Parts: sequence; C-alpha cells; structure tokens
Amino acid sequence: MRAALSALLALAALAVAACARPRADESTLIIALPTFSDSTFLPWTGGGQRKGFLDPIYDYLCIINPETGEPGPGLAESWTTSADGKVWTFSLRKGVQFQRGYGEVTSADVAYSIKQVMSPASRAGPASPLRRLIKSIETPDAYTVIINLNRPDPELAKGYLANAQQVGIVSAKYVGEVGERAANATPVGSGPYQLDFFRRDSEIRLKVREDKANIWREAPQFERLVFLAAPEVSTRVAMLKTGEADIAPMSYDDIDDVRQAGLQVRSIPQSWSPVVRMGGLVQEGARYEAKNPWADVRVRQAMNYAIDKDTIIRRIFHGEGRIAASDTPVEAWADLPPYPYDPAKARQLLTEAGYPDGFTLTLKTFTTNPGAELPTVAQAVALYWRAVGIKVSIELIDWTSLRTAWTSGAARTYVWTHRGFPFTSAQNGLEAGFEAKSLFASYNTPQLQVLIDAHSAELDPAKRRALLTDIGQYLRDQAGNVFIAHINEPYAVSSKVGDWTITSSNALNFEHIVRAPGQAAQ
Amino acid sequence: MTRLILTRLAEALVSLLLMSVVVFMLARLTGDPVAVLLGDGATQADKAALTKELGLDKSLPVQYFIFLGHALQGDLGTSIMGDKSPAMQLVLERLPYSLLLASVSLIIALGIGVPLGVAAAVHRGRAVDTGARVLALLGQSIPPFWLGLVLIYVFAVQLGWFRTSGFGGPDRIVLPAITMALFSLAAIVRLIRSSMIEGLTSEYVKLARAKGLSEPAVIWEHAFRNSVFPVVSFMGAFFATMITGAVVIETIFAWPGVGRLALDSILRRDFAVIQAVVLAITTLYIAMNLAVDLIHAWLDPRVREAAR
Repeated sequence: MRAALSALLALAALAVAACARPRADESTLIIALPTFSDSTFLPWTGGGQRKGFLDPIYDYLCIINPETGEPGPGLAESWTTSADGKVWTFSLRKGVQFQRGYGEVTSADVAYSIKQVMSPASRAGPASPLRRLIKSIETPDAYTVIINLNRPDPELAKGYLANAQQVGIVSAKYVGEVGERAANATPVGSGPYQLDFFRRDSEIRLKVREDKANIWREAPQFERLVFLAAPEVSTRVAMLKTGEADIAPMSYDDIDDVRQAGLQVRSIPQSWSPVVRMGGLVQEGARYEAKNPWADVRVRQAMNYAIDKDTIIRRIFHGEGRIAASDTPVEAWADLPPYPYDPAKARQLLTEAGYPDGFTLTLKTFTTNPGAELPTVAQAVALYWRAVGIKVSIELIDWTSLRTAWTSGAARTYVWTHRGFPFTSAQNGLEAGFEAKSLFASYNTPQLQVLIDAHSAELDPAKRRALLTDIGQYLRDQAGNVFIAHINEPYAVSSKVGDWTITSSNALNFEHIVRAPGQAAQ
Repeated sequence: MTRLILTRLAEALVSLLLMSVVVFMLARLTGDPVAVLLGDGATQADKAALTKELGLDKSLPVQYFIFLGHALQGDLGTSIMGDKSPAMQLVLERLPYSLLLASVSLIIALGIGVPLGVAAAVHRGRAVDTGARVLALLGQSIPPFWLGLVLIYVFAVQLGWFRTSGFGGPDRIVLPAITMALFSLAAIVRLIRSSMIEGLTSEYVKLARAKGLSEPAVIWEHAFRNSVFPVVSFMGAFFATMITGAVVIETIFAWPGVGRLALDSILRRDFAVIQAVVLAITTLYIAMNLAVDLIHAWLDPRVREAAR
C-alpha cells in the first residue's frame, strides 16, 4: 500500500511538474533537434552532436570567421607559431569570467580543458588525433599557453582549437571542487548562456548568464534558448507550424510544405556529403582486399561515371546541393572536375578492366542524422550501376553494425553509403578519413600517404594549398570513393529568427541568432 | 494465497536469471560499443585501450559472471555514454514518464472500451454494436505511427487544441495517450462484447431475470462481473507492454519514456542499459502477471478456494 501511494505521489508530482514547462514567448528561442546524442555537458564526455547546446555555454580559443573560414580571436587574443610549426603560443584575453562566480579564465583552465579532451577516458571526437599531436602544454603565466606538438600542425588554430571542434574551455577549479559527475550535470563555462534546466534526452533550457556584465562576446538577443529532442521529422515540422519551436532541421520533402505554411527555410551550405565508401581499399595489411573488382581503379572510375548525380540532387535533395568531386567540401578542391554522368564511358572502363558483363556487389546502407536519405540514395546508385552491368544487392543495416565492421577491418568485401562532414581544417579531415592509421580510413595508398605526410609537414601556405590540391586531385582521379554531392541541410525557421550566421554544421551559432526586425525586444 | 505468491516469486527469480543470460549474450552478438565510442581518426591502439576500459577484452562467460556478481549486489553496471550513469538509474528516471502515459491510456481505454463493449453486447446487431465493431476493427488495424501523425495534424496543427509533443502539461499527454489507448480499447471492446454475449445467454442470467432483478442489475452485477476476467488477463499483460514497448509513440510524440531509452541503448550497444531495461521489463511483466492472479482471486471465489 505504501509503495502504491508513493507511486501515486510520484505521478502527481510529475503532473504538477509538467505544468511548469514554459510556453514560448518572444524572449525565448526554441530549437527542436532530432537528438541530443547524450545529455552531458562537459566537452570531453560526448561527441560533437552536442555542440548546438554546448557552444552557448563555453568559449573556444579561436573563432572561425564564417565568411573567410579563417580563425579569429576567441578566448585567445592572439597567437604565434614557431618556425618549425611545432610550438604554438596563445595569449589569452584578460578579464573573461566563468559563470557562477568561478573566477577568471586562465591558462590553467585552458591547459586542463585540452588535456581532458585528449585524455584516454575522453569521449570527444578528436581525442585520438589530439593525443598523437600534442606533446605537452605549458602555462608560464596566467595568460599564456604554450602547446608543444609532436609534428607541425599549421592549422591548429583553425582546426582542433577553434569553435568548430570540441575543445570548449571549462573551469578547472569548478570541476575539481564538485567532481566530474556534478560538473557534467551543471556545467560552468565562460559563454553567454548558462544551464537552467535539463531533462535527459528530452529538454535543455539555457538562460543568459546571471552576471550579464561579464558577457564579453556580443550580447545575446534571446533571454532563453530551449532545446527540445524531437526524433520524428514530421513532429518537428508540426512544432514549427504551431509555434512550439522556432528552429528545426527538416526533411527535403517538407521544403515546399514549410514554405507554404509561411515559415522560412534556411540551409546550412554543404553540410554533409552522401558518398559511397568501398571496402578493402586501405593498402595496409589485412585491411586491403585485392580480389575486389573495385581494387582496379578503372572499375572505381566506372562506378563514378555511372551515376547521374545531378538527378539525385534534384530528385532526392530537391536541388539542395551541388555535384562533388570529393567526400567533404574543401575550398582547395572546389575546382576539381566531378565525374560526369557517362554510362558509355563506365561500360568501356568496365570492359577494359575485364568486366564486360559487370559483376555483383553488396551495397550496405543505413539511416542517420543528417542522412535519413542514404537508403534512397543507395537505391538510386544501385539502379544506375545496374544500367552499366553492376548488379547490386542492397542491405539495410544499422550504423553501429557497420561501424563495428569498418573499425574491425571486416568491411572489406562490400561497399556502403556514408556521409562526409566538413572540417574547418582539411588536415583534420584527412587524418580521420584517409590516413592509414585511422580505423575510419576508407582509402589509402603509399602514394597518398606520402602526399598527406608532405602536406602535414609543409608550413608555407602556398605550398600547403598546392599539396592539398594534389591530394584532392589524386583522390578524385583514383576514385577513392564514389563521390556524389555536397548537400545543404535545410532548417525550418519561424518568423522570430532574423540574421543567423552559420559557420558550418559543427558551429551553428544559435547563441548569436539575431531577432527578426519587428519582433519585440526582450 | 501466500503459497501462490511464493510460487510466483520463485518462478520470477528463475525467469530473471534465464533472461539475464539471454539478453547478455544476444546484446553482445549484435555489435561492439567500442565502435560507437571511437572518435575521428581513432587508431587500433585506441580501440584496444577502450575495449579494455569497458571490460570487453575478457571472454563472454567471464564478463557474464562479473555482471552477475555485481547484479546480485544491486549494481547493473554503468552506461558507456558520457557521464557513465548507473544503468538502473537511467531506467528509473524514465519509468515514471512511461507509467504516466500508460496509466492515462489505460484509463481512456477502460473508460471507453468497457461501456462500449457492454452496450454492443446488450444491443447486439443494432447501430451501437456496429459502431463498436467498426471501432474495434480500426483500432486494431491502424498503425500507431500513422494515427499519431494524423492526430498531431488535426488536433495540434489545424485545431490547436493540444500540443504536438513533448512532456510538460496535460495538453501534451492527450494525443499520445489516445494513440496508445486505441489498440487496447479495441481489444477491450471485442473481449467484453464476446464475453457479455455469452454471459447474457447463460443460465445464471436467466435465473437473475426470473428472480425479477432490474435489467441494469442483471447486466452489471451478474453478466458483467463474469465477463471481466478475460479483460483483466489481457490488460495485465498489455499494461506492461504499454509501459515499456511504446517506442513508436514515444518517438512521434517526443515522450521521454523507457521505450526510447531501450531503442537508443540498443542502437548504441550500451550493454549495461540494455540489460537494465530488459530486466526491468521482465520484472514488470512478472509483477503484472502476479497482480492479475491476485485480482482473479479477489474477483472469483473459486480461484481463492483453489489456491487454499
């Protein structure tokens, strides 16, 4: 009886708590996301999908200029690099205060934050490459951080330490005082917003930090940012239509409907890139499979020529993208000529490679976010390949199963759809996707590794760019993947939202969204 | 009655033990959580270190006995995700939300299904019976994901009567509760109707009428009381399903219940959470079956006699 009463009381408490949820008002910006990934708030306790709600809380050493793609001052006012590119010295902005009275941001906080992100226990995306890259961190005074590298990285400020990556600066004193578990639930950063409330995998409410005078970035225009997890895309669009949300990623099929409903559609340009990876193309030990038909470059080229990418962009993505010659959008690769749609050339190359009647392969595919369209892309690709003689068996699996096979080296004898993401530092992208060391490499040859190593070691900007272009050209000519498109990611947006400058899919800048003209001030 | 409860509890322990073995092994056959956690550019050395950190470098039997040893002390392990929360804590955080939704659904299903089923049986062959049968057919054949989206479109987007989704007020629970209730409502209508039709033609009902009892007394005190057993059995099992198996409804309505936790943990191969969810579900089923037995015994003196 007592247990039953307790249960009833708990339910009643829930019902009362339910009524406490704030309704949308002009000073609140509500963002509906498909997932929070996981509801943790320390930079090193999860992946980059959390950046939408972490970036308003934390600051970064450098901030990427959305217009130029180059790094500008963040917590670091300036920085210098040694002649050999192995020593970076950052000078910190003075007087920046952590939230909740945890004092000034100092070099000790920066060193602590970087070390936590690169620690073996870290769940952050760049943990592994950072461990290989950073040799030691020195803090000669409260406002100077010296980072010693194991090898040159001329793009450190643009890459791992900028706001498109995951090294948000936390208060070392705070985490030390309350412990990691408590700090994970109640984060303390130096950004303009602080956590107000969260319900795991359901709702996160941020409010402008209580000590507003200590906001050093531009003052936020919305008093509250509310993030709601809404996995179903139709529900998210309905939330926009009813005014329950102001911003939500949407499907390409909903674009016309959303516009007809009087809502705006804003797209993150070149947010992700559908691509087909081919197993067994990493020429390193057991990961290489010479027996695959696509081990022959002519076959891989044929697989690229066979696909009408323009039709895929128009029909599946409603024109939101452009044909690609690479798996991620890199500025130095923008002029690479994509493989044109040429089925005759594809058949000719297959014949030259010894496959006049084509061959059979398995194409695995999955849905992800963004990337719900990957199975549809797989069907289109299969039809185009069938037209030139490549018979395709499509297998729908879940992403984790594929990751398991990929990282264990078992994904050698089939091909799979995947999504490429933009990196503000092309070098970071190469390290993840094409370096032989990376378990997520999809293509690597000794020649490519030489080029990547040369690019990594080169400090002269012009020569670096030339080497990067060579790498892109090599990957394109060798058809390291089946490149399809760089796709924009559409968001449904309410009339409350004015200027919204998006740096990239990894830096959405919700905290800097400007109220639309005519909307009431807070 | 005590013997009945003790027997059921003994059976429950065996069921939980068997279920723990099955879930433990099956979860590990489907994929590797290390692959989920590895970041960009991770190497073979990173993978080996993470495998060791998660204890997945040991053989399956060793892993199982470590798990069992901890489980017997009430520790079902921690999530592999960021804050490494205790797995059972994650389940218990979600359970009240699922319980709330399932309870409201149950009230709707019983509140509409029982009177409608009785009315359909009493007025067999007439309009109310036809309406009830059509509702039952629709309720059991309409997919919840479709119904949920239609309800959102009509009642939230077009009419603005309710919120589309999420947890946070009475106007957010109505639509998911109706979506969830419809299937069980349809089943209740069918079960009550068929049982009542049988009861209304039985000898004891004829006797009640011959004794001059009013028609409402005949229907509710005699026919209905004997017709309610199949519904109790059905709802006992189905209530547990409503609490734990509402993945589709929780996804459409962004409801933070156990179903979504189960799905997310399966997709991430978060073994500790999968195990905690399944063990919680199993316990819930066992508890509901026990509750059904006790309700049967309370309603039916013959069951009480048999248990003595």
